Amino acid sequence: MPAENLPPGPAGPADAGDQLAEVSRRSLLRGAAGAGAAGLAASSLIGAFAGPALAGPAHQGGSRPQSGPEHDGRARQDVIVHLRDSRSGEMDIFAGTSHTKVRDRELAARLVSEL
Amino acid sequence: MSSHREAPEVSQDPVADSTDLYAFVSPDRPDTVTLIANYVPLQQPAGGPNFYEFGDDVLYEIHIDNNGDGRADITYQFRFRTELRDRDTFLYNTGPILSVHSTAWNRRQFYSVHRVRHGKRSTLAPRLACPPCNIGPLSTPHYGRLAREATHHLAGGIRVFAGQRAEGFYVDLGSIFDLANLRPFQNLHNMFGMDVFSGPAPGVNGANRLNVHSIAIQVPKRDLVRAGAHGVTDERSVIGVWTSASRQRVRMWDADRGENINSGPFRQVSRLGNPLVNEVVIPVGKKDFWNSLPPADDKRFAEYFAHPELSSLLPPLYPGVFPNLAKLVASKKARADIEAILLTGIPAGLIPGFQNSTGQVLADMLRLNTAVKPSSSPNILGLLGGDLAGFPNGRRVFDDVVTVELRALAGVTFPLVDSSFTPDAAASKVTDGLTPASVKAPFLDVFPYLGVAYDGYHNPS
Repeated sequence: MPAENLPPGPAGPADAGDQLAEVSRRSLLRGAAGAGAAGLAASSLIGAFAGPALAGPAHQGGSRPQSGPEHDGRARQDVIVHLRDSRSGEMDIFAGTSHTKVRDRELAARLVSEL
Repeated sequence: MSSHREAPEVSQDPVADSTDLYAFVSPDRPDTVTLIANYVPLQQPAGGPNFYEFGDDVLYEIHIDNNGDGRADITYQFRFRTELRDRDTFLYNTGPILSVHSTAWNRRQFYSVHRVRHGKRSTLAPRLACPPCNIGPLSTPHYGRLAREATHHLAGGIRVFAGQRAEGFYVDLGSIFDLANLRPFQNLHNMFGMDVFSGPAPGVNGANRLNVHSIAIQVPKRDLVRAGAHGVTDERSVIGVWTSASRQRVRMWDADRGENINSGPFRQVSRLGNPLVNEVVIPVGKKDFWNSLPPADDKRFAEYFAHPELSSLLPPLYPGVFPNLAKLVASKKARADIEAILLTGIPAGLIPGFQNSTGQVLADMLRLNTAVKPSSSPNILGLLGGDLAGFPNGRRVFDDVVTVELRALAGVTFPLVDSSFTPDAAASKVTDGLTPASVKAPFLDVFPYLGVAYDGYHNPS
């Protein structure tokens, strides 16, 4: 079954946050800069993401700054980053039911510098 | 066991551990097919105060392939959600639970049902109640009624139930996993040179008086088969069924919240089609990998079906009992009978008036010819017993799948593909010595067919 076809859980208060979440290198950088606990699993960074200028869909081609309630909602989700290779900057970003691969040496360096 | 704790990884994850899968034409509603997927194995009924439940973080699915490619054409998805009425009590319930809406029931579970058909997802039910676990005469005094209340009737003639039932799978775990010993024949075992057993003994059901969590759905046949299916000989009457459980790729313990955080796409961690496949056919080093794949990829494991390890073990473990099987193993002939039963279905022409073939794709699916009518006098040995409505034509809750597969692996089905082979006399007698009577809670004649869950006051006793 394709992951895109996943259903939400039974109706309940938390369903509002069950949409796919997307993060970008820019938002991660912002989060990394603002968080003292920049572990490789970066869900604790999410509080730093909730600013008004959250970036939109994440992909290797770059990001598009967006803002508004919809994106604030996305930002309230946990975001977990798995830095696979700190030298190449290859990392997996997980949020909601999405997974994005990113290669960003600068971001990797900044994350590692917080360890 | 059928698939209880069958692979290293999933044995550490009970809520995602599929244990048994059943698929049969409903005897009381023969225009429907009943599909049951069991999870959360080996439940001690007295397991409070946090009684067993489905995983809120697990995606449970029952898949149907109706065109023989080993991939799902229809998928029923189940997602669960646990709710607490009162966080300030340790109690599962604060008084007798007399209905699924009882305010005395503190920790409740609800679920949604979705159907994915040809890539389109639809909601069949957004929020249905599970029954509580069967606790005891004070907490759940009318449990059978409670469980019936949790059978939900959906639009389109669909019925669904999700919750605790009595374990219906019967197997002599204690002997089989003691180096493939079978109590009725234990005196014939080589005993590795020891003198342990002087005579045969009756089987012991290692799963008796334990509970399991069932997801049962009863669906009109027309919803499952390809359009135009008509009659036993029509290949369109045959469906392949399997269940899977998936988890999100990332799980992290959030110490501040005191809970796990899950994130990312769902990935399959458990799979079950035919009973005992991942248990005794797939080698331990590949069980977790097998669990992650769809049936369409099972050609990767074809060698283990063509040359089953258990078939090669029987002759040396029971010296002189299986001489013909020993010769067959030594010949290195592929077990085309096992491949047909478990991976492709049985083609027309081998068993008069029957077929459940899905074609050439090797895929472990429970294959059901939906045009075969329910038997009025079922035989627990299914096809081996001349009952075309039983395993491996689907699987009914009472079928003796352990004996059927033991006998098949011992060689009784090889003449279907090689008429020159004569099975050993013992091959048609092999059994672990159990029957449905070895299950204390009786099976039901109506949906969801598995017996009422054992309560924790009387079990164990």
